[in-house]
Amino acid sequence: MSAPGLQGLRPWVIQRVTAVYLALFTIYFALALLVNHPFNENNWQQWVAWPVNNIALLLFIVALLWHVWIGIRDVILDYLPNVVARLLALTLVAAVLLGSGFWSLKALVMVLVK
Amino acid sequence: MSAQDTRPFFLNLIKIHLPVTGVVSIFHRISGVVLFLSIPFFAYLLDLSVQDSSGFQQAADLLALPLVKLVLAILIASLVHHFYAGIRFLLTDFDIGLQKASSIKAAWLVIAAELITLVVILAGVCL
Repeated sequence: MSAPGLQGLRPWVIQRVTAVYLALFTIYFALALLVNHPFNENNWQQWVAWPVNNIALLLFIVALLWHVWIGIRDVILDYLPNVVARLLALTLVAAVLLGSGFWSLKALVMVLVK
Repeated sequence: MSAQDTRPFFLNLIKIHLPVTGVVSIFHRISGVVLFLSIPFFAYLLDLSVQDSSGFQQAADLLALPLVKLVLAILIASLVHHFYAGIRFLLTDFDIGLQKASSIKAAWLVIAAELITLVVILAGVCL
């Protein structure tokens, strides 16, 4: 069962590197929720628009989607032996992730130009 | 399967007794899938919350709905578990907590850290 691009060391490393960033960002965001509690319209939008946070969020979205892609891909390869079912599931997941990714990126850019 | 084959055929989830390390592991996977499913919702929420004045309020109103709060509670529990179990798996990559005794200890540590975190969050939300 060889599927080019679907196995190997590289995704394994990416999954772990992204995991570290996601964990750090999670702590940072939890602290931000605590410090700014309760977020209102103004300080939330300022928080997102602040360049450091905007870039951190951008990296978070990229890291998250990459991490999720590898993880869900592994789940699909484990439980769906049928090639057609795999292809359908992987395509659906990719579409959901890309759609959500571009949607979030749009929000990050919009908050800057607003 | 031959008539003499008396090996147990354990697909009965109630009869399978996973060790604690296995429990932490399968819930790492389940929580990962659950968190994946929530991504479109949070993309929507982020987009809504940074739009003009009514957007943030709409997002806040949405998060105040009882059903959404319930989903949010499940997602927070999933995130907390995925976070601690993930740290444990990262450490096992560096051969930390890989032996049988220490891996069991680490799995219990994940559960303990998770429960403490959830209690702290719950207290923070309620107080």
